This record gives sequence, C-alpha cells and structure tokens, in this order.
Amino acid sequence: MNFDLSDEQRALADAARDFFAASTSPADSRRALDDGTPVAPGRQALAETGFAAITVPESSGGGGGSVLDLAVVAEQAGRVLAGPSLVTSARAAVLLAGDDAHLAALADGTAGYAVLDGTSPVLDAATADRFLALRGDDLVCGAGTVTVGAPIDPTRGVGDVALGEVTVLATDARLRWERAERVGQVVLAAEGLGGAARAVELGVAYAKERQAFGRAIGSYQAVKHALVDAYVGVEQLRSLVWWAAWAADEAPDELPMAAAAAKALSAQVFEQAAETLIQVHGGIGFTWEHDAHLFWRRAKVDRLLLGDDVAAFDTVARLALTLPAAPGAPAAAAAHEAAR
Amino acid sequence: MNFDDTPDEAAYRGRVRRYLDEHRGELGRHGDRTRRGGDTGPARAAQACLYDGGLVGVTWPEQAGGQGGTAMQQAIVDQELSRAGIPMLLGIIGIGMCGPTVIAHGSQNQRDRYLTRLLRGDDIWCQLFSEPASGSDLAGLRMRAVRNDDGTWRLSGQKVWTTLAHVADYGIVLTRTDTEVAKHRGLTMFVVDMKAPGVTVRPLRQMSGGAEFNEVFFDDVLVPDSERLGDVNDGWRVALTTLMSERMSLGGGGTEVGMGVGAVLEHVAHRIVDLPEDRQALVRQDFGRAYVASLGIRYTGYRRLSAVSKGTLPGPEASAGKLAGTKAARATADLAVRLLGDEAVYARSADGSSAWQDAQASLPGMAIAGGTDEILRNILGERVLGLPPEPRADKGVTFSQSLASSSTGGAA
Repeated sequence: MNFDLSDEQRALADAARDFFAASTSPADSRRALDDGTPVAPGRQALAETGFAAITVPESSGGGGGSVLDLAVVAEQAGRVLAGPSLVTSARAAVLLAGDDAHLAALADGTAGYAVLDGTSPVLDAATADRFLALRGDDLVCGAGTVTVGAPIDPTRGVGDVALGEVTVLATDARLRWERAERVGQVVLAAEGLGGAARAVELGVAYAKERQAFGRAIGSYQAVKHALVDAYVGVEQLRSLVWWAAWAADEAPDELPMAAAAAKALSAQVFEQAAETLIQVHGGIGFTWEHDAHLFWRRAKVDRLLLGDDVAAFDTVARLALTLPAAPGAPAAAAAHEAAR
Repeated sequence: MNFDDTPDEAAYRGRVRRYLDEHRGELGRHGDRTRRGGDTGPARAAQACLYDGGLVGVTWPEQAGGQGGTAMQQAIVDQELSRAGIPMLLGIIGIGMCGPTVIAHGSQNQRDRYLTRLLRGDDIWCQLFSEPASGSDLAGLRMRAVRNDDGTWRLSGQKVWTTLAHVADYGIVLTRTDTEVAKHRGLTMFVVDMKAPGVTVRPLRQMSGGAEFNEVFFDDVLVPDSERLGDVNDGWRVALTTLMSERMSLGGGGTEVGMGVGAVLEHVAHRIVDLPEDRQALVRQDFGRAYVASLGIRYTGYRRLSAVSKGTLPGPEASAGKLAGTKAARATADLAVRLLGDEAVYARSADGSSAWQDAQASLPGMAIAGGTDEILRNILGERVLGLPPEPRADKGVTFSQSLASSSTGGAA
C-alpha cells in the first residue's frame, strides 16, 4: 500500500503554492466585492502556467497529467481563493477529449469555457465565452448571454447563462458528461480542502497570539477544541480527496462513490473550518477588512455547486445501499464495492 | 499511489490467511469471550494457537518471544483477524500495553519469565493506572508504595476501571513513592501478582449492563523490589511507554470502532424499504453522513498504514483516528437503533436481538476509555497544532502541597 503523494506531486504542490501565493490572495476576493476587480490569477495566467490544462493530453497541448496531479494543484489554488476555478477547466478537458482544436484553445487560454448544469447558476460564467451543455445525449457548445447576479462569493463568477446557437460536439455523450461532473466534484473538493486547511492555519496562528484573561486564547479548551475538530475534518477530507482523484485516474468503478463522498465532506468541512475561523477571531473576524469572511463566502457558495451537499450525501447513501439513483442524478457506473 | 500490497506484503498476507483458514475452528467467534464468569480456557487456547502461527507479538523482538516483524505485518495480521471475524485476543491489554512496558523497562529476568507466557495467553495481564481521584490527570494518583526495611515494597490504595482485572494473573501498577516532589516525579511502576494476598478485585457494572472492568483494592500487598519496572520515582517515564503503546494499538490502521459500517449498511438496507418516502429521504441523509465519515476514517487509516509501511512510527496525530471513529460509531449506532421503529424503546427486539441497543449503550465508554475525547483534543491541539497548554494550578508545587490546597481551598 502506498496511499501517499509522490515526490513529483509534492514538488508540483510546492510550485503551485509559490505561483498562487505570488499571483493572488484573499484580498483580491475583497476587491472583487468592492469594485468588481476581476478575479486573479485569471484564465490567461492559469493557461500560461499550464495548470488549467494539466489533464489535457500532451498531444493536444496540455500537460498530460493525472486528476491527482490536478487535485494537488487545486488544493493550493483553494488556499488563496484563486479564480477562475480549476473545476471549470478540468470538466472542459473531459468533455472536449479527442477534439484537438477545442483542447488547444482550452490549453492556451484563447477560449474561456464554462459548463452548464440544467438551469443551475454556472460556475465561472462571468469570465467565459464558450459554453458546454448536454442536450438530450448530445454534447453541445456555443456562445451565450450571461447574467451575473450579486455574488456571495465573487471568486466563483457564477451567473445565469442563456445559450445562443450551438453546435453538437459529440452524440451519445452522457457517460462522458457524468465523468466530467464527477471529476469536477473531485477538483471542487480539492479546492475546498485548500481553503479549509488555510482557514485552520489562520485560526491556529491567531489563537496562539491573541491574549485574553492573561493568556493566549488557544490555551483555552473551548477555542483549542474547536480548532482541533476543524483540523480533524481537514485530514479526513484530504484522504477522501486523494482517494477520489486516484479513483478518477485508476479505478472508474469507485469514482461515483468517491466523488460524491469527497464533494459532500468538502462542503461540511470547509463550512466548519470557515465558521471556526470567524469565531476564533471574535469581533475582528466579523469585519469586512478581515479575510475570514472571504473563506466563509467561498464555503457557503461551494457547498451548493455541482449539486449541493444534501444531494451528494443522498448519492452516497443510494450507491452504498444499491438503491436506484435519484431523478436527475448521474447513474452509478457500477455499484461501489464497500469492502476493499 | 496504490492500495495494493507489495509482493512481500502479499506473500505475508497469504501465509496469515492460510494459517487462519487451517485453524479457524480453534479461534472462536465474535462475542465468545466477554461473558463474565465464563471459562477463559478457550480464549487462552485461541491465543496460543495464534501465537504458534507467529501471529501474536509480530513486532516484538525475537528475544522477547516475538517475531521481530514490521508494523506493516502487524497491520496485516490485524486486518486478517478482523476479516475472519476472530474475536479480540483475551490478552490484548498485556500485548498492547503491559508487554511493551516490560520490554522497555524490565530486567532480563522479568523479560524471560513473563513475555512468552504473556504472548501465548498462559498469563493474562491488566493495567492498573486510573484511580477514583485521578483519571485524565493520571500523574495525580494517590496509591502508595512504601519500601520495607528488607527492601520489599508494600502497596496500598485503590485502582479503578481496570479492564480484565477479574481474570488477570499479573498487572502493571503505577504507584506514588514520594509525595514531597512534583506529582510526575514521585511515581514508581511495579509488576504485581494479581493473586497475591491483599489484592481484591470487584466488578463494576457498566451503563450498558456488561461488567468488563473492575475496581481493585490493594491492602498492604507485598511486592519484591525485583518486580520494580524502571527506577524509583521514574514511573512517569515508564507510564509514557505504556500510553504510547496504547495509542499505537488504538490509533491503528483505521480499524473500525463499534459495530462497523458494513453491519449498519445491511441493517439500513433491510429496514429502509418499509419506511414512508419522507422518512427514507431522512434516513439516506443520516446514513450518507455516517458512511462518508466511515470512508474518511478508513482512508485516513490507509494513509497512516502507508507511513507505517515506510517505517514511520505513528505520532500524536493518530489520536484523530480514535476521536473521529468514536464520533462516527456513536452516530451510526443511534441511526441503527432509531431504525428499529417502535421496538427502539426496548432493550431487546421482539426477535431477541439486542446488538444495536448494546452498541448504543456501550459507545459512550469509547469516548472516555484510552484518553477521553477532551484529552485527545488537548493532545492534538498542543502536540500537532502547537497551541499553548492550559495553565495548571498544581504546577511548581509538590504533590502533598497540591493535595493540601485542593482539600482546603479550591472548589467552594
């Protein structure tokens, strides 16, 4: 058994951390709320570093990497609330498989893709100019009109999209669509892992420093235990993110369960970590100037993307109990084998 | 990244599995051994059978009667025992906690006399640490050991929550040998013969109705100095060996606490179909949460096992496994009992089964035994996250001073 990242993946994580730390910070999320400053690092920078196209084959101009490689990078993106989401490019890479022209446009950033899920608000719609959707069993692509509402989290670029004229990229594309959605859930969970881990770090740092009643507040069990509970959640989530990413690469039968479980736990853990971050900071954590609410905003929006946490827990239960899938939910490719 | 055994691990697993298959009839079934007053003979024989197959004391040195194997091999044995439905070994406290302490701190003579018999199940051991007035604050214990003129020791006091004391042949006992130093500095550890004159074991009935643990009274029990473990007044360091070993045996490779998610899955699958649609949706939410928690624990266990297989010893972060496992097991048992419908108000269902009710009533104990949830959170907060410890009112004073101040001032 070797359930651990490779040395190459650790090096990739370090490189990604350096890039994201240099190119953005949660303060950009606040600026976006204040005056609509575009999210950073932005689509072009993500394309130039190659992070947007890690999972695109080399022959189509991408990195030829695995979903696990991408998850490692997405965790780092999540730590600083980077945008647009790597979920969007990961999903597009699955949907556009075999279409070299589109993949090249994704990889070099000349086109900005986003993916429509029925009538749900579209992730990264605000910065997109090409939209992918499923019509019947056809994968279609076209331009659209985007209506961006007032965002709770400005880094997600969510908006409603009215599709214009579309072209059919592939017929009989349902299985591919479902895989793309699950890979998207894995990457979303990886970004949530990064956000949650960072929130715990910030909370711990403040609890060590802030004094009350003559000592650091982190010495009080009420504060210490809240941070520990958030930390324990982060480590459980890390395990499910790695497993789900590995399943996307190596064990397609396990992906439906692993993706839903990672998505569900990510929603739970990130929310808990962000709320703990605010509470540990007290009054300052409730201010506009502090970063705590920017993590909280991301957590409150992410839990609803790519199906909400309630739907994800329901999917887990149905797969484990081998009950029929809920209407509208992707069918199980295969029942999850509970006992490894 | 992969979840497969290495060729060596696979070969080892194959040997373990073959041995368990060949001897399955001698190894007992779940629930066989915990009945109080029952004959311990079959459980001792089962342990001896496993010992003969090299499956007990896997990581212990060969000179100590063990196999000199790796932590990964021990993890494989644990997995295969669980897979085969073999009950926990009767000698688990001795193997997991007392034995490692004797290996680290005992004399050659003690190691020769005790260890192989302990592994074979010839002798059962217990761990005598907690007292009525000191549980989580172990170093505040009061049981006295006083040295006689002839060099022997006289032990008097009370221990409590002592699992297996009623069947134990030996125990390791932590005592106070000096009251005029800080509380950690005046402790000494001994091996005690549980059949010696002056040792009285009384069962304690648990809230679940079972009686696996005991209170133990020591009335002037004589212990030879040759049974001391470690130096006089160095017992805290010796006890830390025991507690470290306990964490490794409890934190383990993500093994399940309570009934296990597989059993819950079967139960839910059986019951959910008879519920109205709105109830089904609620049960799916509850079960989905429980199942995700169990996956998180399982895969976090795999991460720990991977570290172990590379030779890393589990650190304090292993406490997170017990914390998360207990929480998940309690939520799961609650869900399972609720699914019994009207029958959930009774301790036993109409068909005579009480497995879920029993699990529900026994799990509050898991949040206390082997480090309470609160102590585990302190360990994680202080040793992993680096948060400062809570100030201690008994710091910088001798044990007798802290006793005096707690009896006169304090909790008014």
